[in-house]
Amino acid sequence: MNNIHSLRFFWPESVLTVAVLAMLVQDLLVRRSPRRVGLLTIGALFWLALTALATWRTPWGNFPIFGGLLVHDPLRIFFAWLFLAAALLTVVIVPRSKEISSARLGEFFALLFALLLGMYLMASAADLLLIYLSIETVSLVSYVLTGFQRGRRRANEAALKYVIYGGVASGIMLYGISILYGLFGTTRVAGEGGIGAQLADVTSRLFLAHAFGGQPAAQLALVVAVVFLLAGVGYKIAAVPFHMWSPDVYEGAPTPFTAFLSVGPKAAGFAVAIRFFFAAFERQLPGGGYAQVGDLPWPAIIGIISAISMTLGNLTAIVQSNVKRLLAYSSIAHAGYLLMGLAAASTAGVQSILIYLIIYVLMNVGAFLVVIAVSRETGGEDIKDFRGLGTRAPIAALALVIFLFSLTGIPPFAGFIGKYLIFAAVVQRGGFWNVLLAVIGVLNSAISLFYYARLIKAMYLEEAIDQRPFRVPAVYTGVLVALAVPNSFLIFYWTPLVRWAAAAFGGSPSS
Amino acid sequence: MTSIGLPHFLIVGAALFALGMITVVTRRNAVGILMGVELILNAANVNFIAFNHYVEGPGKVTGQVFSIFVIVLAAAEAAVGLAIVLAIYQTFRTIDVQETDTLRQ
Amino acid sequence: MPFQFANVLIFSATAVLFVFGSLVAGRFLRPDAPNREKSMIYECGEKPIGQAWFNFNPRFYLIALVFVIFEVEIAFMFPVAAVYKSFIERGEGLLAFFEIALFVGILAVGLAYVWAMGDLEWVKGLKQDVLAQLREKQAAPPAEKKAA
Repeated sequence: MNNIHSLRFFWPESVLTVAVLAMLVQDLLVRRSPRRVGLLTIGALFWLALTALATWRTPWGNFPIFGGLLVHDPLRIFFAWLFLAAALLTVVIVPRSKEISSARLGEFFALLFALLLGMYLMASAADLLLIYLSIETVSLVSYVLTGFQRGRRRANEAALKYVIYGGVASGIMLYGISILYGLFGTTRVAGEGGIGAQLADVTSRLFLAHAFGGQPAAQLALVVAVVFLLAGVGYKIAAVPFHMWSPDVYEGAPTPFTAFLSVGPKAAGFAVAIRFFFAAFERQLPGGGYAQVGDLPWPAIIGIISAISMTLGNLTAIVQSNVKRLLAYSSIAHAGYLLMGLAAASTAGVQSILIYLIIYVLMNVGAFLVVIAVSRETGGEDIKDFRGLGTRAPIAALALVIFLFSLTGIPPFAGFIGKYLIFAAVVQRGGFWNVLLAVIGVLNSAISLFYYARLIKAMYLEEAIDQRPFRVPAVYTGVLVALAVPNSFLIFYWTPLVRWAAAAFGGSPSS
Repeated sequence: MTSIGLPHFLIVGAALFALGMITVVTRRNAVGILMGVELILNAANVNFIAFNHYVEGPGKVTGQVFSIFVIVLAAAEAAVGLAIVLAIYQTFRTIDVQETDTLRQ
Repeated sequence: MPFQFANVLIFSATAVLFVFGSLVAGRFLRPDAPNREKSMIYECGEKPIGQAWFNFNPRFYLIALVFVIFEVEIAFMFPVAAVYKSFIERGEGLLAFFEIALFVGILAVGLAYVWAMGDLEWVKGLKQDVLAQLREKQAAPPAEKKAA
């Protein structure tokens, strides 16, 4: 499909591009106005609504656009809604948090839209070039937003660490991509002549195999290239060995952005991973299932990363005293749980990831919102600042309890649905290693209860020095309730989620 | 006499990659580390251009296009990186990465 | 063959003439008022003689950062210029032109923003930063209300 025809399916991205520029211009126009916070928030909500409209109006379909650089399919639309939800929550939260000064709110929104644009592209990239470019777009904007509070030492330090780790991770990924280009002579992942098609064709030999000293060496180069590529993706989703940045960045970045960072780019990273592995190394069967092509043991690689991520994340989280760091390690552990669904390498596995991501947005943003509300009043983010929250701000405390239990995956709460589906998908796949992975996952959920419970204990059983009740902005209370309700009651009616995820992935065979 | 072929370019690329990694790991100066990252990106660029010469078919110019994008992104990354280093210098009065390690304490 | 040498010869002669021509023309046109500052070697505003290891003025970075972004834009323009003829042959000349115009337009908005925020002003570049810091301080103790 050529460029002009592709534009029909590119409306959301076009609107987002205009939104970035419009927010910058609006920032200049209302810079001196006393009502600029309100005006800028309304502007941001307007552009979000327009993007949502464009996303909603995009025709359903499953085909490559822009000559195969991007692919338009239900999975992309699914992630688009997920990103929009995360962005909406951030736009609502930011104006009342004290961390973004009102003079620079317009800049923040402009950067947020640029980030959203990058994530949209990540969700539909079907070419290694676009995968790299979109990941870099998201990364570069994230560096800036992490160091947004220029005068704060911790913010600057976090941004520096993020740039260095991010630069190395994307460099390694790029090197892997260059090897893939050499092996296959193309950077297309899906579609005709792409990497997937070449691997599926048993008669085809790896391109330029002689340069690598024959077929077995080329096979080794393929494994190395894929592992290198995983560095870039793993860094975006904060999976172990590429997780080192995340605690520092989560702590140093302004908390509203941390909340967004922990759900948005992570989900986008999973979008890239799902699309890359299923387009390149899996072939869709007529029944809708998937069969592996080539002999790259990618589910095993993902499974190992997954097991290490959740174990290391959970064990390190136990000793944290700063709540933002604690949630950072918990988010590393969650990357591990989510990767388990990918390691299952099945339709059910991916669908469980999608469902878990929705629930993850609901519970993780909620947890961070309570942190914002607390640090706004107490000025700190340590567990000791949460003491006595049960009496000082009962609604926020109760909401946090719900979010934390949901993150643990305890039955009445929504997190349980996600975890149950992921574990079920892995066990369904069968085999000793898959069952072992599921067992590790269950054990990890038990470990995670330790540190979540520590926070709950501080809120209800420990006395605060300052006993006065504190004010939570009405907007925050509203959002907290709106997030806590689905977390508590989703268990009674979650068929829509399943139906939605089923529509997004594994429906009709991809082109 | 053996002529210079693809393996030679790949070795140059791999050497650049290794040097970049060593720079990143051993340097304590933030600007030096960013330079190491540039080396890694250029290692990939050498690979792209070298492969591009030998590839036939639809992917014929992909390598060159890719390397142009990498050059531009490397510039953007350097710009953001240097801006952050500047901010670090304004608050810490040093750009030694071992002394700007106050988090997790 | 001799023709090609003549080509080079003419180019060289023009180059030499251009340099000396402009110097001679300048000699007659400019006011002549030498001083110490002016007769120093030109080195982009830095002291040309002395230690090479010193801290550069951070204002250089601000300008350099903006420059880098707009400089690499050229990297995208050249390839398009190189294949533009084939676009025209396929009747997509206007489309390609519009795409590039859009690209430059987006960059122009960025430039306008930098300009309006005062980051291009050599002297103001620092003042803006100081102002922002003061503003942030101002939020904490209300006594410090005096801005530069």
